[in-house]
Amino acid sequence: MRYAILLLGAPYSRQASHSALRFARALVARGHGLEGVFFYHDGVHNAARLAAPPQDEPHLVDGWKALNREQGVPLQVCIAAALRRGLLDEREAARHGKQGHSVEPPFELTGLGQLVDLGLRCDRLVTFGP
Amino acid sequence: MLLHILNRSPATSLVYRQALTAIGPEDRLLLIEDGVQGAMPQLVRHFEGLEGRLFALREDLASRGLEGHCDPAVQVVDVDGFVLLTEEADRTVSWY
Amino acid sequence: MSEESTRENVADLLVILRHGPHGSSWLREGLDAALVAAAFGRQVSLLFMGEAVTALVRGQQAGALGQKGTAATLEMLAMYDIDTLLVEAEALARFGLAEQDLMLPVNRLDAESLPRLPAEHRLVLTF
Repeated sequence: MRYAILLLGAPYSRQASHSALRFARALVARGHGLEGVFFYHDGVHNAARLAAPPQDEPHLVDGWKALNREQGVPLQVCIAAALRRGLLDEREAARHGKQGHSVEPPFELTGLGQLVDLGLRCDRLVTFGP
Repeated sequence: MLLHILNRSPATSLVYRQALTAIGPEDRLLLIEDGVQGAMPQLVRHFEGLEGRLFALREDLASRGLEGHCDPAVQVVDVDGFVLLTEEADRTVSWY
Repeated sequence: MSEESTRENVADLLVILRHGPHGSSWLREGLDAALVAAAFGRQVSLLFMGEAVTALVRGQQAGALGQKGTAATLEMLAMYDIDTLLVEAEALARFGLAEQDLMLPVNRLDAESLPRLPAEHRLVLTF
């Protein structure tokens, strides 16, 4: 089946990111296709390039990147929710005259229309709230 | 048949009531994260009427030391079982 | 063929709103998802559940520091052809609100019909 995940919780504040990543790995292991993870609300903080958790804790940002690297899962971040919260990729940082950027590939800033498209295109969308 | 997913404890949050309001007669409810507290014998009464349709996530029970505190009316599933529940349902609705 | 594709009157998206204005971004972000879906030509239903019934109260204003709130967005729903506005009747009663207190005409949904709603939509998003 084709799955999509919607993640609404910030990493390290709520369990949502751990739950979503665990679920993502399990569904891929069962042979399903994960067509995208969409980050919205405080979930956009999962894309924070500079996240530096202690070494004995799971690195959630790296976990998402590994999912993209190993399974080709698109990591789509709502641009409106991200910009408000200081999460800008290189292009947006330049556009807003900011030094440095806080989001990098494989995370991609995209519109909410992608969430609707993903949700309606896939057989299942599972939401992980905070 | 829909799968509803609840991640809040009925002891501290009224969100479970919203979930119950929206659950159809065939629908299932899966307790995850803090929601697994609802599987404890003193709290499971909040989910009356869901006999046979109430599930709790084993990993979230285990990490909280609650696996042995789970009411027999609740079916415990691991994360593979979670995926299976989403396969069997037409779609999922999350309550948080 | 699956049961849902043979059933008639299955709309695209149900957005369940569960928060009032100003206190958090949930209401605004939920409405944004609904508006975007409608702008892409999708059929969208809105369900105001629990505290979200207060989003419909007349006479809302800007908040601290000019925080915009959501009343103006609600007034735009008709422009986006979002005209299925459903309200949990029990929540109206719980908050002591009558229909003349609300800024938009709504359909009251009783406790018996509410569980049918998620099954009538291809995608359900809760905010």
